[in-house]
Amino acid sequence: MKSVRVQRIIGVAGAAAVLVTAAACGSSGPSKSSGSSSGGTGGSGGTGGATSGVTLQVLIGSSGDAETNAVVAAGNAWAAKTGNKVVVTPAKDLTQQLTQSLAGGTPPDIFYVDASKFQGLVKGNALADVGEKITDSSDMYPNLQKAFTQSGKYYCVPKDFSTLALEINTGLWAKAGLKDSDVPTTWDQLETVAKKLTGNGVTGLVMSDTLDRIGAFMRQAGGSVVSADGKTVTADSPQNLAGLQYVQKLAKEGVLKFPKQVDTGWGGEALGKGKAAMTIEGNWIVGGLQKDYPNVHYKVVPLPAGPAGNATLSFTNCWGVAQKSAHQAAAVDFVDYLTTVDQQMSFAKAFGVMPSRQAAKTQFTTEFPDQAAFVTGADNAFGPVGFPGFDAVQKDFDSKIQGLSDGSSDPKSMLSSLQKNATDALSNN
Amino acid sequence: MAAVRERRSPSRRVLMYVALGAFALLFLGPFVIQIATSFKTDPDATNHPLNIVPHPATLEAWKRIFGYSSDQPVPFGTWLRNSIIVATSITLLRVFLDSLAGYALARLKFPGRRAVFMLILGTLAVPNVVLLIPRFLVLKELNLYNSYAGMILPIAMDAAGIFLMRGFFMQVPQSIEEAARIDGAGAFRTYWDIALPLVKPGLITLTILSFQGSWNEFSFFLVATSDPKYDTLTTGLAKFSGGSLGAGNQFPVTLGAALLSTIPVAILFFIFQRQIVRSQMSSGVKG
Amino acid sequence: MSRTRSQEDRRQALAGWLFVSPALLGLIVFLVVPIVLALYVSFTNWDGLSNPLGGDVKWVGLHNYQQLLTHDGLTRTTFAGALRNNFWFVLFVVPTQTALALWLAVLVNNKYLRGRGFFRTAFYFPSITSSIAITLVFLFLFQGGGAVNGILNWFGVKGPNWLADPRGVVHVWLSGVGVTKPPGWTQHSVMGQSLWDWFSGPSIAMMVIIILVIWTTAGTFMLMFLAALQNVNEDLYEAGELDGAGSWQRFRYITLPSLRPTLLLVLTLGLIGTWQVFDQIYLTGNNPATRTPAYMSFDQSFQNNHFGIGSAIAFLLFALIMGLTLLQRRLIPEEID
Repeated sequence: MKSVRVQRIIGVAGAAAVLVTAAACGSSGPSKSSGSSSGGTGGSGGTGGATSGVTLQVLIGSSGDAETNAVVAAGNAWAAKTGNKVVVTPAKDLTQQLTQSLAGGTPPDIFYVDASKFQGLVKGNALADVGEKITDSSDMYPNLQKAFTQSGKYYCVPKDFSTLALEINTGLWAKAGLKDSDVPTTWDQLETVAKKLTGNGVTGLVMSDTLDRIGAFMRQAGGSVVSADGKTVTADSPQNLAGLQYVQKLAKEGVLKFPKQVDTGWGGEALGKGKAAMTIEGNWIVGGLQKDYPNVHYKVVPLPAGPAGNATLSFTNCWGVAQKSAHQAAAVDFVDYLTTVDQQMSFAKAFGVMPSRQAAKTQFTTEFPDQAAFVTGADNAFGPVGFPGFDAVQKDFDSKIQGLSDGSSDPKSMLSSLQKNATDALSNN
Repeated sequence: MAAVRERRSPSRRVLMYVALGAFALLFLGPFVIQIATSFKTDPDATNHPLNIVPHPATLEAWKRIFGYSSDQPVPFGTWLRNSIIVATSITLLRVFLDSLAGYALARLKFPGRRAVFMLILGTLAVPNVVLLIPRFLVLKELNLYNSYAGMILPIAMDAAGIFLMRGFFMQVPQSIEEAARIDGAGAFRTYWDIALPLVKPGLITLTILSFQGSWNEFSFFLVATSDPKYDTLTTGLAKFSGGSLGAGNQFPVTLGAALLSTIPVAILFFIFQRQIVRSQMSSGVKG
Repeated sequence: MSRTRSQEDRRQALAGWLFVSPALLGLIVFLVVPIVLALYVSFTNWDGLSNPLGGDVKWVGLHNYQQLLTHDGLTRTTFAGALRNNFWFVLFVVPTQTALALWLAVLVNNKYLRGRGFFRTAFYFPSITSSIAITLVFLFLFQGGGAVNGILNWFGVKGPNWLADPRGVVHVWLSGVGVTKPPGWTQHSVMGQSLWDWFSGPSIAMMVIIILVIWTTAGTFMLMFLAALQNVNEDLYEAGELDGAGSWQRFRYITLPSLRPTLLLVLTLGLIGTWQVFDQIYLTGNNPATRTPAYMSFDQSFQNNHFGIGSAIAFLLFALIMGLTLLQRRLIPEEID
């Protein structure tokens, strides 16, 4: 009995050991990392850490495979050049994963920082102050620089920017008998063409149910969530109400639907799958459609003007370097590489964002004439609300938007909730 | 055995089989659809979800899972490796530590035994979800965040397992152990050579439950790690399926990977079916 | 002789402590200490970015608990919504999974059933899969144009866009019988949610999770009922038959009472489990229609950096579950007569 027992235990332990060793040695498939880690010691002073033989962890909030592939490719190129390694991870939920890894004390070396999350990260001392260290960092558009500067410190450089515009499926447009002159330039015209385009399983307009989209209409009506100096909440205003009621009108008529209502995840997918004739999205839709739905032909036009004129929303991210990163020098070097005019242009080509460098503007407009609407949008674009704590408030507001379709959400009470919650959150800062 | 012996009328029997058949369909149907979907193309899966036969049948999803496709690879190998490492370690540790503690509580007299017993019993009352954030805090303080040790040690012992083993040990006749003691065997030898072999069913049960539990564990691994290189089949799949903004619905790949992750436990289940069923049926304590 | 005895005793005591310490140590370090630490954090405003025991962290007393329970703001409203969702989840899942498990056990318990093993395996199999793997399958099946709606189509029923539909089922039912606008008196608000919202029933999106959970756990409880059924004294049944009792009466007066302990166990386990539902909710994202307190605890901490609130929710949940378990034991005592 004793020998059987011992044998059995040894057997199990042995099997386990074999399994574990086999698994550990087994390949994990082609990974996203690249380059060979050389044995070089590097260490060129700088902000700290070696600049060779280093592995950088990069966390991105990707808009799709196109973007992920582009960043990976850039990582490969830089890695080969410098003898380092770059591991790119597209996050399922960037905010949550970043927060968790920061809280755990092991953040990625480089990560996207959305303009709306910037202030919170600065407050939590998560960002290294490296803006000035990037070559020619003052060449970035001034309002983009401002979005990532606090207390006089230029923390990180903007990587690109995008604005919202109206994307129209040209095939469905022609099929509905519409012509170039019918491209909507006012709210009423948008409503008319959306009506004409709805039918046969196609919805005229599909856009995401978030303040980051319908906020454009609120701006076009002259409203804003916070005042220009960021000190007062102005959510509950007649202008915002007008914008929201316009969205409600279209939703109730069935000519505006939200992505989940047509079994898709975002406006681009709806356009690509033919469920939507039009959508309102930013530049990133270019890359997404190119990769996943290459057979869909579309054109990009500026958003229509509202009662207060033209307005659109702009979005930007910066290349944040973690304060806790052990490889700040290498990270800065990589960010430097990522923000050259050439690299920014190749990102633009890959997934459609606009370079944040003014030096690249002419090149961009020449190479991508059909994206002119995005560029012109920059002239009357507004950035997102950025104070810490607004995130939860926006989530709550966003969750009610879909209810506009069936009347279960009321614009006035949505705005008064927004006012109340935003004021509460702002007062906590 | 008190299986009901009924003289059922034929029509009642037919009804019974129909009901059973319908339920069997409900309980197994989703798996059938899952298998079928993993062999479909993305549009086919979205547009014809009910077709058991893919049209066209393709291995594209499987190629991505095993890394042979040009599309972004699914880091399935990493997930599998981590799941194996973690589940195996936790199972081995649990079987060893739980049986050790269970034996001590059952058969060894030591001062404070009652207090220890009550303490361990008390931990059973803590609902799992309450421990999510707290465990994260402790891992962070101990610098075990993002490490295998951090994934394994906190759940390498569990009160339920200890009580399970204690129960089995208490059924070992004391006379056998007395005999061993008289022969001069120490506590550990008595435990290892005499008692353990006699509680084989308990060990098997504990092994199976521990493996199943740790293989399927999700919420704890979610808070214990953030680095993708520690993703297991559960956390990896969960994070992957959310994807990114434009990822769209990649159901064949997702469902295929989910299917694969179920296979090891399914194999275990089919081999040890009898023991599992018996242990569940007699369990007063959930594993 | 006594010296050998006490030597023996000491050796046993030493062995006892040695044997029990690894597990005990583990439980203390990874269970007791975390709870104490979390309790402490729940009284602070820790944001996850510094040492929780360090100088930057401010003691805020009951502030977090106030935010959740008394202060009229977004946090409380969100928490109330999560409680509401979980409450309806529990209400729908526990009775259903218990009844289904019992019914399946009774069906499978028939001695003359052909393929008994097969059916038992079929019903139990879903329980061994991981919650993540299964939820992904169900998310696929319950798409707006997915399998479930496809099947409903065969019966001429147009299924809702399940996961995207946040309407409560009670509201849907009420609008079906003509009550479309909430009557004025239901606008009174409790913890930030109106009474009308409290009684909305689970959302249609939540119904997917409800069905999912019933489907995966019924098998486990079925096995427990099977064991209990097989321990019922056959003589009792014979006596019942002789007395002229029909099969339903035999079930009600013989079977059910014998199942009482198992029934109690299944209910208790069901309660404890359903109030903690997390894995499946994680996959539906931060959706107010399916958000539960467990998820909110995680989300507040790892999304909003409010570990204090997250910990506070954990303890409130702890108290709730303990309270309900004790209450249930009071209402349904272990023994009858």
